[in-house]
Amino acid sequence: MRLFIDFVPVLIWAVLAVVMVVGMLVASWVLRPHVLQNSEKTSSYECGEEPIGPARISYPYNYLVYTILFVVVDVMGAFLWLLAASSFRLSEIVVWQVLVFVLIIMGGMGFAMKNMPETFLSGQETLTLYRKAKAEQASKEIESGGH
Amino acid sequence: MIPLSWYLVLSFILIALGAYGMMVKRNLIRILIGAEIMGNGVNIALVAVSIYSPAFSFVGQGLIILVISVAAAHTALAMVLMLMYHRRYGTVDLGTPISLEDTENV
Amino acid sequence: MMQVEVWFEQIEFLAIASIVIILAYLALEHRNIVYAALFFGFMASFVAGIFLLLEAPFIAGMQIAVYTGGISALIIFAVLLIPRAQDSSLEAFASPRRRRIGLMLSGSVGLLSGGLALVFPWYDTFAPDMPPLELNLELLSQWLWSEHVIYVQMAALILLVSIVGAIAILKMDKAERLIPIQGEFGIESVEEPIDDVATIEEPSEEVGDE
Repeated sequence: MRLFIDFVPVLIWAVLAVVMVVGMLVASWVLRPHVLQNSEKTSSYECGEEPIGPARISYPYNYLVYTILFVVVDVMGAFLWLLAASSFRLSEIVVWQVLVFVLIIMGGMGFAMKNMPETFLSGQETLTLYRKAKAEQASKEIESGGH
Repeated sequence: MIPLSWYLVLSFILIALGAYGMMVKRNLIRILIGAEIMGNGVNIALVAVSIYSPAFSFVGQGLIILVISVAAAHTALAMVLMLMYHRRYGTVDLGTPISLEDTENV
Repeated sequence: MMQVEVWFEQIEFLAIASIVIILAYLALEHRNIVYAALFFGFMASFVAGIFLLLEAPFIAGMQIAVYTGGISALIIFAVLLIPRAQDSSLEAFASPRRRRIGLMLSGSVGLLSGGLALVFPWYDTFAPDMPPLELNLELLSQWLWSEHVIYVQMAALILLVSIVGAIAILKMDKAERLIPIQGEFGIESVEEPIDDVATIEEPSEEVGDE
């Protein structure tokens, strides 16, 4: 409670952010014309290019490695934030410990950066599997509903 | 003041919800979300007990810091394992029967 | 005066706890899995509110940074990489009987752990309310970074192992493509050419016509 009072401005800020986003969405829904819903109007505008295929494309798997690197740096930042709030952060032994800590994690990042091109797998087969499953589902629906 | 038992009841509800998700769901991503919900419930219980305990120390909070960092690491590994499961068997649904024989050309 | 503060605090706890439980239920039961991941992120940030009520500010910040920022981003990325998982029409849900059995089992798990914790004798040794606020970031930082700094290095090693393991698992699939052949000097292994795209037949667009 005593601590929670200090964070009330953060809460107000979060509520303001949510209200602003929802308000913009509602305002655009209100101001939008609701007639002329043909496929030309509802297709996404890509600088004059006509969009081809579904929006659910399959990305290469090594994007996940970038996310893992982000999570690792996130945890490292949390530990260093705890240290930065203290008053003994400049004593000699703590500086050496921080150096070892950062070097271990940077070693992992360097390993990831060095091996990243070898983990490249295009997501093509994922998309193929998805299309096959979708076609199976559609054929099953046609079979069950046709009789 | 809030009694300790309220926090414990909240954490048990979260643990039961996560166990329900892990037992009932068939999608691997939902099973992982259930595991994370269970982990959150356990974190709440540990922090509440360590703060309300008469011999106050920082063991509970330091333990929670390490638990959260280990949770990040194991979730990352679980995601990679799930991707490889999907790449090999073509599904993330645990109820689908898979055959071990024709996995070589998938 | 004091009574009003106590009531206010309890109302705050009840509001946050009910929001957490509703969001956790939605994260498990929403049919669209992208929304489920989104609700999980919201649930993690409200659990940070519970930690603030418990007067553990650093845990709350770390919860927001790691769970809301990192783990829900991981879940959303994994959903993004598997287009089959985004399509809720392809997802098979459990039958009602299985659902009832799961509900009974998880309810018994919650009741058993709750009964064990609340009826256990050590519950009497705890104070009924919170001790005075004497903790701050300085003491926690001193506990972790000055007295038990080996834990921090162990956490760094665990993170390193997770990176190396992720890379190794992603590379393992390529290593399995080495097919053994009967060569001149016994069994050799020859690397098959990597062609993800070429070996897959084109998906047949026509479905079973009536």
